[in-house]
Amino acid sequence: MATREYYFTSMTCGVEYATRFEILSKDNLKEIMPSAPLAGSRDRRVDRFWGSVLLLLPLAAFLLMVFVVPLAMLLKLSFGGAGGPFSAYSEIASSEVYRKVFLNTFTLAITVASCTVLLSYPTAYMLSQLSGWKRSVAFWCLFFPLWISVLVRTFSWIVILEKSGPVNRALLGMGLTSSPLSLLFNSFGVHVGMVHVLLPYALLPIFTSMKAVDRRLLLASDSLGASPLTTFGRIYFPLTLPGLSTGFVLVFLMALGFYITPAMLGAAQHMTISMLIDNFVNERLAWPLAAAASFSLLFVIVALVASANRLVNFVSAMAAR
Amino acid sequence: MLNRRAFTISLAASALTGPSFAQGRPFTFCSFGGAGGAAIKTAFMDPISKKMGQIANVSPTNYSKIKAMVEANAVEWDLVDTGGLFVFQGRNQNLLEKIDYSIIDVSKLPQVWVKEYGLYTFAGATVYAYNKDQMPKGREPQSWKDFWDIASFPGGRTLYSRFYYNYEAALLAAGVPLSEVYPATDEKVDLAFDKLREIKPHVKVWWTAGAQPVQLLSTGEVSMALAWSGRVLDVMKENAPVGMSYNEAIAWGEPFVVPRGTPHRDMAMQVLKYCISDEAQTAFMNLGVYGPVLPSAAAKATPEQAKTFVTHPDNMRRACVMNDEEVAKYVAKNEERWQKFLIS
Repeated sequence: MATREYYFTSMTCGVEYATRFEILSKDNLKEIMPSAPLAGSRDRRVDRFWGSVLLLLPLAAFLLMVFVVPLAMLLKLSFGGAGGPFSAYSEIASSEVYRKVFLNTFTLAITVASCTVLLSYPTAYMLSQLSGWKRSVAFWCLFFPLWISVLVRTFSWIVILEKSGPVNRALLGMGLTSSPLSLLFNSFGVHVGMVHVLLPYALLPIFTSMKAVDRRLLLASDSLGASPLTTFGRIYFPLTLPGLSTGFVLVFLMALGFYITPAMLGAAQHMTISMLIDNFVNERLAWPLAAAASFSLLFVIVALVASANRLVNFVSAMAAR
Repeated sequence: MLNRRAFTISLAASALTGPSFAQGRPFTFCSFGGAGGAAIKTAFMDPISKKMGQIANVSPTNYSKIKAMVEANAVEWDLVDTGGLFVFQGRNQNLLEKIDYSIIDVSKLPQVWVKEYGLYTFAGATVYAYNKDQMPKGREPQSWKDFWDIASFPGGRTLYSRFYYNYEAALLAAGVPLSEVYPATDEKVDLAFDKLREIKPHVKVWWTAGAQPVQLLSTGEVSMALAWSGRVLDVMKENAPVGMSYNEAIAWGEPFVVPRGTPHRDMAMQVLKYCISDEAQTAFMNLGVYGPVLPSAAAKATPEQAKTFVTHPDNMRRACVMNDEEVAKYVAKNEERWQKFLIS
């Protein structure tokens, strides 16, 4: 009963209370009323703690073996340069080329993540409005490409975007251009290929956050005389923002490690860190350098995620829905 | 009955005795795969395995894998088909066994194909290829100079993503005679970079996979390409409007190397000995994929065959044979300069 009352009083106060209503509606009474009798005895809490430890143990052991230990070995390798423990790091830090490649990679990841999120948002809205078989078909169209190898998809883009490919033929045929456009081996080609591969990763968190929006809030806003744009800007958008930022961060992080797509669809200027690491590992056999480059990338990513986490609570945005 | 403790001990024991365990596997040959790998299997590996026992053919070659297995003392490949550069890279990193020339008679082989840590068993070439439809009427490029001549032969170009091949092509385009491409002095490297800077605005793709340049050529995305001869001949067989020439071809051999610590070292030498025999080399030539290194086999080529591989005397005369020891040196020295050149 308390919940319902809260809801009605909050209606007059706008978004801030609406969000608090959401907390209430999730029966998360403990946070609002710490003294609530739900909390249980101390013994039960201890049991819960050991229960969680037991449940997490298999995953922790697995990660220790296949992730933490190899990572430690890689770290050790990165200090094994011929010119002393930090020689590999200083070689990377002092080289103008490697600095430029790092900058390239981050710029590319930001622009790709922006394009992906911009395209995903309206698409996710459309999907959230569909139901029944229509939604199934739409999701099928979305996920089917995920099962095709990235290499095949990348080669397909070459066929589609090349000088005498269907896109250019269509543009020429419609008289929109007099000579074939360069759609490949430049920034445009890389973005098309990467956005295509990464789209579902942005779309899903946005879609889930949209599904969680209580439609009644929009109705309430309407009935209080807000224009559609105001309702969107003050209610819908803030409520879907966690999904949006999760999608952005997810795509951004994945784009940082991309290799095949920029290598095949981009120009030489688009060299990314992954290509550099591949060159160190496979062609130059300079493993300490490769390990140092990997750790530099890891360090920058961890720093970025940590600072991004202060702005948008990434972890809770991922876990809440 | 095997109790748990005995099982654990036997598991630990088998983990500790990795190398001796490896002796139980068959002799393993690793190639890059593709048409080349198939030709090696048919002409070299299948016949010798009839005499010497089972040979497992695997692919693809991966240099970091060789480094990892040698350093872990768990060699799984006994003989490996590699690029010429790796003979020297692998030697410098102490990853290879010396080739035992007391077992292998190389007196009939040109010395250029015989190295301390690798023996070349077949050869191919990097050539300029062109889309015939995009060439000016009645003219076909005759040299790397023509490849650089955008005014007379308009259209995009594609070159390889690493410095080698480009160094040779650029020097030949600059008019350096075939015999003076090596040794790679600082002046020549500078000249190569200058020449490459000149053509860079027209280079649409710096390719990484052998399939790329011929694909770009046959669809007309570029009008001329630096490409591997085998790939070009392949698309020519499919009647693509593509042409090539062995004039000023950059000929390279493909060596087999023996990873250090292999349990099958002696057999590796025996297999190598067979690979350069007249019988094996002739069979290899007849498959029409790459050229034999043995002159007595090359001499048996029909006039039609002679046009298809670089090691035929008619083609070899006008080719620049890659000196892989020099290549290894200039590549290592200019790695960062090359990357800077690419991304600027």
